[in-house]
Amino acid sequence: MPTDLRVSNISKIYPGCIANDKVSLQFKSGKIYALLGENGAGKSTLVKILSGVISPDNGEVFLNEKSLKLNSPLDAKKNKIGMVFQHFNLFETLSVFENLSIDTNEDNKNLRVKINDILKKYNFSIDLDIPVLNLSAGQKQKVEIIRCLLRNPKVLIMDEPTSVLTEQETDELFISLKKFCDEGILIIYITHKLKEVLSLCDEVAVMRKGKVVSVSQTEDEKIETLANKMVGQKLAKIKKKNNNLKNKVEIFKVKHLNFYSNDPFETNLENINFSVKKGECLGIAGISGNGQNELFQILSGEIITSNTSIIFRNKEIAQLNPKQRREYLMAFSPEDRISQAAVPELKIYENVALNNFKSSNFFEKGLVNEKKIKEHSKKILTDFSVNTDNVELKSQFLSGGNLQKLILGRELITAPELLICYNPTWGLDVGAINYIHETLLKINDQEKSTILISTDTEELLKLSDRIAVIYKGKLSRIMPSEEVTPEKLGVLMGGGSIDKN
Amino acid sequence: MILDISFIGILIGSIMASSVPLILAASGELITERSGVLNLGVEGMMIIGAISGFALMVITDNLFVAIIGSMLSGVIISLIFGFLTQSLLTNHVATGLALTIFGIGLSAMLGKNFVGIPGKDFPILFESLKESIPFFGPILFGHSIILYFAFVLPFLTSYFLKKTKLGLIVRAVGDSPTSASNQGINVILVRYCCILYGGSMCGLAGAYLSLIYTPQWIENMTAGRGWIALALVVFATWSPIKVLIGALIFGGITIMQLHMQAVGLRIPVQFLSALPYLMTIIVLVVISRDSRKIKLNTPTSLAKIFYKEK
Repeated sequence: MPTDLRVSNISKIYPGCIANDKVSLQFKSGKIYALLGENGAGKSTLVKILSGVISPDNGEVFLNEKSLKLNSPLDAKKNKIGMVFQHFNLFETLSVFENLSIDTNEDNKNLRVKINDILKKYNFSIDLDIPVLNLSAGQKQKVEIIRCLLRNPKVLIMDEPTSVLTEQETDELFISLKKFCDEGILIIYITHKLKEVLSLCDEVAVMRKGKVVSVSQTEDEKIETLANKMVGQKLAKIKKKNNNLKNKVEIFKVKHLNFYSNDPFETNLENINFSVKKGECLGIAGISGNGQNELFQILSGEIITSNTSIIFRNKEIAQLNPKQRREYLMAFSPEDRISQAAVPELKIYENVALNNFKSSNFFEKGLVNEKKIKEHSKKILTDFSVNTDNVELKSQFLSGGNLQKLILGRELITAPELLICYNPTWGLDVGAINYIHETLLKINDQEKSTILISTDTEELLKLSDRIAVIYKGKLSRIMPSEEVTPEKLGVLMGGGSIDKN
Repeated sequence: MILDISFIGILIGSIMASSVPLILAASGELITERSGVLNLGVEGMMIIGAISGFALMVITDNLFVAIIGSMLSGVIISLIFGFLTQSLLTNHVATGLALTIFGIGLSAMLGKNFVGIPGKDFPILFESLKESIPFFGPILFGHSIILYFAFVLPFLTSYFLKKTKLGLIVRAVGDSPTSASNQGINVILVRYCCILYGGSMCGLAGAYLSLIYTPQWIENMTAGRGWIALALVVFATWSPIKVLIGALIFGGITIMQLHMQAVGLRIPVQFLSALPYLMTIIVLVVISRDSRKIKLNTPTSLAKIFYKEK
């Protein structure tokens, strides 16, 4: 029997924000539907309502023209609505099997048979008896999917499923989703990644500020049209600049960077040498896990290595810690916004104060100069168009994009000579990405330098003057970006080599 | 000191008896903590159990009523803790500390009229076997029913957590209440149940002290055993069997150091009194130093306040 899911006039209002404003949509089985929107557009709120986690202030959900009362996740399950959350709803310390058995009444033997059938059918390979915390993100997601499949769902909702996946895992996921769709499961796919919408989905609904602004067939859409609908204004195309760097001085130079670790989860770095000129952006490409983490930590001073020489503005800084390096006007923006760059439980101005150094005068005689920090924070919020002016807000309530703007602002307001950033736009929506790219280009225009470590080749090609690829802890030849193509990068990132001449 | 076989048997028997309240309270608290709730009120709940048990025994002259009553009193006082932390979302640590202080004060007040009243003999099982079999007799026989229960409890607890559906749910709630709630588990209800169970076991541990171990009411008679039980749970890395081992080591060294003091060895008394604490911690740290197991056993959400999205 085909499935027909309809939401009608759904509204959900939080203090100070309308998360869903009279949302009406219709979904039918046999198709994959995309729900597209920026962070904070109200997609997650809508699917949380569909899965019974929160209840709407107004409106109704119909499944096959029957009105549903979704007061708890149990109600959604009973009505065969399955949901894979963006932040996994798994129990890390329990085994895979225990995770799957917790909400079924089946006895363990039957359940194991059933799970093994699913594993075979969809070609998943997961050890059922190891704790979930030992699984990769892709495997965890599969566990979530299996949990849904065990209940023979009519509807499967995926909330930004690829944000934690590698490219290969993403491909695998898409294959599975298409299979589910063929089997008659209605799939709702929430994302802010435009390419995924075009390659996977049949129909797309775009949400903006809590409202549905468009519903269309994906074959009628292009990346640009979807992006404009999502952001709501014509996105300015960022132009790749062509700096003449020939006569510029070298500002930063790394020689003989070696790093050996006993930790099997860390990558050793082998004889890395490079230099950065004034006003230049050096891009470092690579698939994550090839030593970028270690490289970033060594450049920022979190890890100090012996025998390495790092010259910055004619001074040897290899033995200095991050704070001392900041005094020399370096700035850092690490990959993980929540655990490395900011403390989510602290208020905005407290996070700003973490980055204090001598000249900032945030602290006087051991006391916090709150007024000064707050003024400084306000300036960051306005200068870097963070979407709030409340410096007392806890940082965890900022969306990813706004948090990244805050972090970049905190780093840049001191006018550093060199900014080192690692995946600055990871997981952000188009609007925020654009803003951050513009900001990074502006730095170069002001004769300041950047080192951009990123796993996003498009971003690297757009922003870098020269690009190198890191693979298994080794750095490739550094190439001017004019001679680099995505294909060449792809080959190098996969460990291949490109013939010179 | 005569170190013959029958003496060692008696010694082991008395060590077992002294570790019973620790095993009971720690096993109860272990379940509470596995559900993600840190109740520092163990000492308070034990002392309330001790006075209620003793008072009920004096008033009703019925040991069964006294035992059940002590467990109920533990349930009631832990219900206060549950209401505050789960329904009113107060901080676990502060609430638990308050509960202990409250319990000690309340028990002293309730117990005023019961000071100096002699206790009653608690029935012991297999008394004849205790005398007739050397060595094993005093170890295995001649104990109260509560002692046998206490020594089975860690194994039951372990089975419950590892093998039963309910145990799985308790662990799931302690691991990630948000995920559990999204799976349709009533997190608050599960936590209430675990808190109340912990309370009943602490109450029973208290009653063991005032009815069986030293059958009388003395103000503050738990003398810090609640805190030891709490520490045992943590140092045993939330494993019931290790709690049992820890409790036996603590009880054992406490008794042995008393004997050593009596013999008059030239070791400072202060050091001897500190020995049980030191040795228990050292042994438990050594037997549970597998960091992977620690990670798997530790309730991730311990002492974190959970509230449901609306």
